[in-house]
Amino acid sequence: MTVPGTVIGAKWPRGDGHVKAAGSARYTADMMIDGALSGVVLRSPHAFARIRRVDIATARALPGVHAIAFSGNVPAKPLDFSIKDQHLFPPDYVRYLGEPVAAVAAETEAQARDATAAIIVEYEPLAPVLTIEQALAQDAALVHPDWQSYERRESSVLEGNVCGRNRIRRGDVDEGLVRAAHVVTSEFTFSAGLPGYIEPRCAVAHAGKDGTLTVWCGSQSPHGNRDDLAAFFDLDPSKVRFINQYVGGAFGGKILMAPEMYAAALALQCDRPVRVAWSRHEDCMHAFPRAGGSAVFTSGADADGRLLAMRASFVFDTGAYIGYGSGSALIATMLASAPYRIPALDLDGTLVYTNKHIAGPVRAPGAPQANFAKELHLDELALAAGVDPLDFRLINAWQDGDLSPTGQRLSSVSVREALEKAAAAIGWGRPLPALRGRGIAAGWWFSACGTSQARVRVNADGRVRVISGNPEMGTGAAAQGLPIIAADALGIDPANIEFALADTGDEAPDDGAHGSISTFSAGQAVAAAAADARDQLLAQAESMLEARREDLELRDGRVVNAEVPSVGASFAELALAAGGSIEGRGASSGLADPEIDESLVQGHGFAAWPAASFLATAAEVEVDPEMGGVHVVHLATAQDVGFAFNPAGVIGQIEGGAVQAMGWALTEELKYEDGALLNPDLKHYLLPTALDAPRITAIIVERPSEEGPRGMKGAGEPPVTTPAAAIGNAIRAACGAVPHTTPMTPERIWRALNPNLRA
Amino acid sequence: MSIAPAKILASLSINGSVVECAFNPNKTLLEVLREDVGLTGTKHGCEMGHCGACTVIVDDLPVLSCLTLAVESIGHEIRTIEGVARDGVLHPVQRALAESGGAQCGYCTPGIIMSAVALLEQNPAPTREDVAQGLSGNLCRCTGYTKIIEAVENASAELRSAR
Repeated sequence: MTVPGTVIGAKWPRGDGHVKAAGSARYTADMMIDGALSGVVLRSPHAFARIRRVDIATARALPGVHAIAFSGNVPAKPLDFSIKDQHLFPPDYVRYLGEPVAAVAAETEAQARDATAAIIVEYEPLAPVLTIEQALAQDAALVHPDWQSYERRESSVLEGNVCGRNRIRRGDVDEGLVRAAHVVTSEFTFSAGLPGYIEPRCAVAHAGKDGTLTVWCGSQSPHGNRDDLAAFFDLDPSKVRFINQYVGGAFGGKILMAPEMYAAALALQCDRPVRVAWSRHEDCMHAFPRAGGSAVFTSGADADGRLLAMRASFVFDTGAYIGYGSGSALIATMLASAPYRIPALDLDGTLVYTNKHIAGPVRAPGAPQANFAKELHLDELALAAGVDPLDFRLINAWQDGDLSPTGQRLSSVSVREALEKAAAAIGWGRPLPALRGRGIAAGWWFSACGTSQARVRVNADGRVRVISGNPEMGTGAAAQGLPIIAADALGIDPANIEFALADTGDEAPDDGAHGSISTFSAGQAVAAAAADARDQLLAQAESMLEARREDLELRDGRVVNAEVPSVGASFAELALAAGGSIEGRGASSGLADPEIDESLVQGHGFAAWPAASFLATAAEVEVDPEMGGVHVVHLATAQDVGFAFNPAGVIGQIEGGAVQAMGWALTEELKYEDGALLNPDLKHYLLPTALDAPRITAIIVERPSEEGPRGMKGAGEPPVTTPAAAIGNAIRAACGAVPHTTPMTPERIWRALNPNLRA
Repeated sequence: MSIAPAKILASLSINGSVVECAFNPNKTLLEVLREDVGLTGTKHGCEMGHCGACTVIVDDLPVLSCLTLAVESIGHEIRTIEGVARDGVLHPVQRALAESGGAQCGYCTPGIIMSAVALLEQNPAPTREDVAQGLSGNLCRCTGYTKIIEAVENASAELRSAR
């Protein structure tokens, strides 16, 4: 029997499991739209060049060509990011190899490719800025020669090649380091990495004769994308509709529009639908990768291992344009010292332009990088102090009432519990064979709540439908989490609830699936909508059954008399009596930022973290010192989600995050030579396979937050933030050395073990 | 200038039925299945044989349909994800993946299922290592493979007990 309040917190199968296993779930590329033209993008062959001339005349006259979009016939304004540094097609300079210069729509893909080859673009190649060192050099060439003329938001920073800078300062670091018994300095470099979703991006756009524009796509943010696209093309947003299909993974890589914009630019110039589908190569060339970068840490501890002071400095390479890349440097300084008590801090983060791909908000931007540096550095300090790495962290871990780096008073702190549970899961302290080692790392994260509206509709056939604009990108937040929340309010099995893929035409706007936000905001909206539907069902039953409200209860899809359950009415009968359907409406209620000490921060727009969550990962690895190979034996992550609405979903996030993080730790790296990406495919860019997957222990910690619905904290991003650091520390424990560079490849491990030998 | 070759008319044996279709002889089996036969359950992931999303079964062996010309498949038995369920009832491998959380975004799922079905037909009692080996050509970014491997193990046990 299912009654309200018994569904949330239990494990349920996913609402989309059947269609996905049957092969009938429809992704954007599966849409075969009659009459659709093929759209192909022409990309820059140079990392940096001045554009002298673009001539489309010859290409436009080729057979089958219906439209060519380029800087000369799309809106001349820049795209609306925090720094207005980018155009849909650049009018003056191309700034990375692969940057779109034009797009063609033709009857066939071959015709479209032929036409892109016939577009004449005269370039004047320039010496590209390819590294952080080059970008920050005294006499550096400028990626944006005209940067001083750019419009930008007040919160942004722009000085030549520097496009972001923030600092957190507290106490006297120099004094702390002088007082310290042990001081260690460590330097790190991080690789750029792909989001790694398996579905290459695809979009289809169609401009109707009535002034409407429809875009079919797989976006993490269909409502935000709709608004941005409408604003760019000067369209009435109410006439632009984004219809999401199933999304084949996203991981932050499908927040910014890409094929959607080119499909729309072409569709607005012809009367046929236009389909733009990336090949894998193109998808890699147009990915928004995790930013590469570097960090330097100096910290001191007293003789007992208590941390006294930390100085940390990060630089991230954000590529050619700002896009949504500014988060890495902001998050890195928030993580650099956390979750540990350190009285004196000086933490800064810098973002620089280079002539490379535009870095994006890949799942927990900046966080695996920051935690890798911080946790390896702290292990080096623990080693110097002669304290066990777990004890070192427990001694210094935050507790309730402590202050965050920016002066936020912390509550529901679970760092110690997470550390202890993760460590226990891998048998911390027990003897190990030679060349095996254990490592541990801890971190913290934020919760966020966007605006979200939802409806829960009970139809005359008794079926219940949840309508939310929150896109299902694979996590199950929409396909599993939202039905669970609605089912809990209505007292039915979640399998009896249909969910809707996001469609801006449904008028259930939602801020999208990013920032670990979905269950927090869309979940609140659905909970409110389901409660509203429940109230309407009860009201209808009162008159139908001539009963008093307090005598009625919901049970298995019926409203029944609590004393005489045989007397009741089904949802179908109640919906019919109400005129065909009953529809509840709800909205998210938002989340106030906690108070911080503004005097501690400079240039930091992301310094208050509501409903903060905590986690730890422990790793056991085996190292082959001859070849430098690493076998990850076991990863255990204990993650505090405050309250788990959907435990199966949380476990899925922890397991998937562990292996994703392991890939970035050991194999994943975008390799460049002269600005060209050398590995834009999945043979040379190595995602972990089933053979690489370690044993994973997923531990849900529930320390309810004061702010979240039922105490919840955001859950999707944290599990990717700590495993790389734990693996690095385990490598050192196994063999006595660890590379300070990701990915920790066999060659780098061998070199770390043999610093004086040449390979 | 690209010249499209003339289409050929061919019979393909797909999921137990003979399908007559006309297609360009330079097309891959993946392209013909999706574009000319209308079976879009088989996914395009990389068109270079690196990700496994396009896996189908040809004569009992898992095959990357993105690296197979459709003309090579003439005269062979092709099975796709659409042919795995029987009369709308999911195959135990499909059901185990659907119920266990082995499908998150679901994009790699059809290819995983085809590899797993082929594996279990050849090796009804695989060890965990056998399963991982059998799925090692199929990339998944969402799950960490844990729930996928468990699902295939569970399906294997169910199939054996039904025998």
